[in-house]
Amino acid sequence: MSERIGFYICHCGINIAYRVRVQEVAEYVAALPNVVISRDYLFMCSDPGQELIEKDIREHHLTRVVVASCSPRMHEKTFRAACQRAGLNPFRAFHMVSVREQVSWVTEDADEATQKAKILAGAGILRVTHQASLTPATFPVCTNTLIVGGGIAGMQAALDIAKAGFKAYLVERQPTVGGHMLQYDKTFPTLDCAACIGTPKMVSVGQEANIELLSYSEVEDVSGFIGNFKVKVRRKSRYIENSCTGCGECEKVCPIEFPNEWDVATKTRKAIYRPFPQAVPITYCIDKYDRAPCVQTCPAGTNVQGYVALIKSGRYREAINLIMEKLPLPGTLGRVCPAPCEKECRRAGVDAAVAIRDLKRFAADQVDLAGLPLPEIKDRPEKIAVIGSGPAGLTVAYYMRLKGYRVTIFEALDQAGGMLRVGIPDYRLPPKILDNEINHILRHGIELRTGVRFGSDLSLEGLRQEGFGATFLGIGAHDAIRMSIPGEDQAAGVIDALAFLREVSLGKGEIPGRRVIVIGGGNVAIDAARVAKRLGTEKVTVVYRRSEQEMPAYPEELQGAREEGIEFSYLTAPVSIERQDGKVTGFECIRTELGPPDASRRRRPVPVEGSEFVIACDAVIPAIGQKIDVSWSAAEPDLKLTSRNTFTVNPHTFQTSLPDVFAAGDAVTGPATVIEAVAAGHRAVAAMHRFINGEDLDKYAAELLTEEQPGTDWQEISDKIQKAPRVVSAHLDPVQRAESFDEVDRNFSEAAARQEAARCVDCGGCCECKLCVSACEAKAINHAMEDKVEEIEVGSIIVATGFDPLDPTPMQQYGYGRYANVFTNLEFERLSNATGPTGGKLLKRDPYDRLKFSEPPKSVAILHCIGSRDINYHQYCSRTCCMYALKYAHLLKDKCGHDTLVYNFYIDMRCFGKGYEEFYMRVQSEGVRMVRGKASRVEEKDGILTVTAEDTLSDRIVKVPVEMVILCTAMEARSDASAVSRIFGISVGSDGFFQEEHPKLEPVSTPTAGVFLAGACQGPKDIPDTVAQAKGAAAEALALSASGEVAVAPMISSIDPDICIGCQACIGQCAYSAIEFNELKGVSEVNEAVCKGCGSCSARCPSGAAKVRHFTDKQIFAEIDGLLAG
Amino acid sequence: MSEFEPTIVAFFCNWCTYTAADLAGTSRLSYPPNIKSIRVMCTGMVDPQYVIKAFLEGADGVLISGCHPGDCHYINGNFKARRRIKLLKEILPQFGFDQQRLRLTWIGASDGIMFAEVMRGLVAQIKALGPSQAKLKMVI
Repeated sequence: MSERIGFYICHCGINIAYRVRVQEVAEYVAALPNVVISRDYLFMCSDPGQELIEKDIREHHLTRVVVASCSPRMHEKTFRAACQRAGLNPFRAFHMVSVREQVSWVTEDADEATQKAKILAGAGILRVTHQASLTPATFPVCTNTLIVGGGIAGMQAALDIAKAGFKAYLVERQPTVGGHMLQYDKTFPTLDCAACIGTPKMVSVGQEANIELLSYSEVEDVSGFIGNFKVKVRRKSRYIENSCTGCGECEKVCPIEFPNEWDVATKTRKAIYRPFPQAVPITYCIDKYDRAPCVQTCPAGTNVQGYVALIKSGRYREAINLIMEKLPLPGTLGRVCPAPCEKECRRAGVDAAVAIRDLKRFAADQVDLAGLPLPEIKDRPEKIAVIGSGPAGLTVAYYMRLKGYRVTIFEALDQAGGMLRVGIPDYRLPPKILDNEINHILRHGIELRTGVRFGSDLSLEGLRQEGFGATFLGIGAHDAIRMSIPGEDQAAGVIDALAFLREVSLGKGEIPGRRVIVIGGGNVAIDAARVAKRLGTEKVTVVYRRSEQEMPAYPEELQGAREEGIEFSYLTAPVSIERQDGKVTGFECIRTELGPPDASRRRRPVPVEGSEFVIACDAVIPAIGQKIDVSWSAAEPDLKLTSRNTFTVNPHTFQTSLPDVFAAGDAVTGPATVIEAVAAGHRAVAAMHRFINGEDLDKYAAELLTEEQPGTDWQEISDKIQKAPRVVSAHLDPVQRAESFDEVDRNFSEAAARQEAARCVDCGGCCECKLCVSACEAKAINHAMEDKVEEIEVGSIIVATGFDPLDPTPMQQYGYGRYANVFTNLEFERLSNATGPTGGKLLKRDPYDRLKFSEPPKSVAILHCIGSRDINYHQYCSRTCCMYALKYAHLLKDKCGHDTLVYNFYIDMRCFGKGYEEFYMRVQSEGVRMVRGKASRVEEKDGILTVTAEDTLSDRIVKVPVEMVILCTAMEARSDASAVSRIFGISVGSDGFFQEEHPKLEPVSTPTAGVFLAGACQGPKDIPDTVAQAKGAAAEALALSASGEVAVAPMISSIDPDICIGCQACIGQCAYSAIEFNELKGVSEVNEAVCKGCGSCSARCPSGAAKVRHFTDKQIFAEIDGLLAG
Repeated sequence: MSEFEPTIVAFFCNWCTYTAADLAGTSRLSYPPNIKSIRVMCTGMVDPQYVIKAFLEGADGVLISGCHPGDCHYINGNFKARRRIKLLKEILPQFGFDQQRLRLTWIGASDGIMFAEVMRGLVAQIKALGPSQAKLKMVI
């Protein structure tokens, strides 16, 4: 069939014709093959222009039409419609060539412009003949709309959509709707209070049946296409159910405070909070991060952050209760724990770790355990035997008892406490403290039998016969390791440290000698040395075979020992003990050197040949290590031990080789710390409880392996934090204390304790002390709540995510952040707002406490254009600042008195809106001084801020002293605008704001069909314009919903099954997974509903089977031919 | 004046570079007329065949320009273009064409000023390379 092409070149008034000689182009094209009509016309897009095309099609039987005019992005649709009206398929018949944006407007020389226009037109003529008929597919649309952002724009759009009878999902990432507008005080020019006009909208949004409000939520993913979007929304957990009545009782008891973001950190809020009193929804919210490192590090999982926070607020009883959820021995551990938590404390990055252990001890000392009420325990019939009353045994006994079991503790000595009683000397752990804690544990209904030893007095079978369903062995490591040197074995003058300490603790201790040698470098050695001193020994020397750095004893103990006059001999190893007449006279040792590291990764001591020497002494106390007493092993052959003579247990369940017998603590690990024994005791309790209930312990052990690792998302530490020294405990005078067993560490005062506890930076946010749970009468708090991801279906999306105010801290010349009384506009709004830190009074800030405000200022400078109209920050004008600067001037005059001096430093006054210029006149008449010159800097001296500017109207430099400066900061795109734009498939302009489809004619739509914009996210604007845009975006969304269907452009991929070789290369290329392989036919097929026509598949296809309709190879080749012709 | 004026065939993606070109137009920036554009939906749509054909037909330069990485309207079409063009550049010498005649740039929809700058720069560079030898060597 022969082609009959009609060509039209538009003058576009003079826009094309002034540079391109349009008649010449028309004449040139007329001579091209297949062209039957070639015209030039003034305005092709006008009605007569279009009618010209339609008439020519009918009269001259045109088969194709090519129009050379503006960009196809402007009028392709217009001319396609004209062709369609004349009876031609618009895609087959029409092609558009741009000779305006890409030719006449950019080419300076008329000849070159005309030549380029001819070439482009010729290419278009060649291309159009290869085009084929296409019909857009229509799809039904989902009539729901998603609105992202619950500020005034989002709320207004939601209300309009709901009013029309369609459903709107409103997703807001803060706990409340309202956005920045609700942070303001009064709004210009009417001075309406923002809350008064905003809260009714908030309430409507919350109550309107057609609006589903998803607050504290964020959009994670969007897929699909216009009319058929699938959106994944993450509902972040508030940890509070919707049954919350908003009464606020929980807030009163929460011990954790944060700066309140809603108040721009001028005020604090609690970890459980509501951003402001009129928040919608009214439900409170808990700010939680991952558990603090101290909590994660404690082997027993004690809620360290929690009890430190409770101590900070003086709630010691609650602190002890919280500690005892994991540790039954707070006062003990507050004295002896090595505090692994302190090593992970993030405060150490600022100045020093918080003195956590000392704080725990402080809290324990304030609370009388005997006065604590006992919990209700529902008795169970089963009996549990606990052998050993050390920390492991006490832990197991206590927590099993709390579960209701009938527990009996069997203790070999005649006093309970294990190593706590007989290993740790009284000057470190006073016996009264230990007694109180043990008695408190026993008070819960636990039976204690002393003087019964495992193996000789007790047997496992005997216990079973007595009715005990399970037995726990916490017998510790109370045997001493021998040195095996000559002279060690004879009785007099040599006593191992464990036996020595035990006898002293049980009241049977005797002075070992006048000059005593203690051998060893661990805590037991130091304890023995300090105890010997207290018993009256004149000279005590601690002998250690490595150097000081390798000593495992705690540094505080070493320091205490040194202060008490104990001497140390390092790099000294034992050789033999010299005796005369059976009495010890000396200790032969040899000097050592440090060689390479051994298995314990400490350097191995190597004896130096020939360096033996003798230290005169009359007693030797070896303290070289502990082991488990296995004298019972003959009587219990089935209870297996490891090669180190510790109990063989399952590492997760602590079950021994006998199913009803469990063991933990030093008896399993060898000598270790108290807290590790407590932690192991907990795990044994969990396993024993399951064992008694007949559960499968192997399955339980496997579950433990798959437990999630805790995260490290903690609260950031502000770089404005003030350093403070770590509290130092008082200690008894060294000379005096070495004569008695009085406790050496005297701790500190209550004021010091609370101040120290306040140094905690609350890494985990909410500390899970659960005081809120007890305070909540609606029982709405659920700390185990988890985030949920919901999938919703919508037909259109309105992005109304708002703006961020610029942070002027980098602008050192204005002193923001350094000078107390330089405020940003948002901070000033919060001061002026009745729910802010000053109840609406405009007051100066205290330079020493950013949260305190004093008197009203007598003079204020308001600086316009901070970050706007500034080539170093943002070139654009932020549109609203001049108006709110006038508003502040008015508020200052109104609230602080009309004799307050107010200066506005401006470049130009932008009062463009309705009532704006009138407002400007009014404020000027109130006596506000307008200085036409942007302020260049602010300097502070003795509380007076001096603002320097060039007053361009009087041509002078002025320096104006004021008491307060307000910076009108630029409106910026949100910091995450780029990331958000990718989720919705929209783009960001060079100013950072979202890009609209056309700056004049399409301000609320984007090039992505179905996604619209509203409000400040598209560009700086005030409230009236924002509301107007929101209504416009709602109209766009409603147009879609009302039409019920959407036509999708037919320029999508198609795969010719006759050519397709089934290589499936296209499938991997498709970003939308729109291509599937048809196994039956052996070819790939495009899902036309999903394909967007990007062409990745067609460019890749090796056989040429995949083609994007309207962008086929023939068409492009023809266009290339045309461009390169001649 | 018989100064050599190159012909550069340009493939612009509809969403970004073509829009930037329009923006350059509405902003009345100027650049030389040597650039002749073909509108495609995505740089990922540009088949290496188009490039070879353009060179064989005598194009002195070929430019492909699309959205910035990460901002492709079709998610990652521009990444595929990048890989394809990289490979094509490697084999272009085998067809007898200088690699430098083929360019890939990223110009976003709001980058009108950058568009004009890139066009001016490109025309100058291709001019410096001289006319493509294809027209002289081919006898068809």
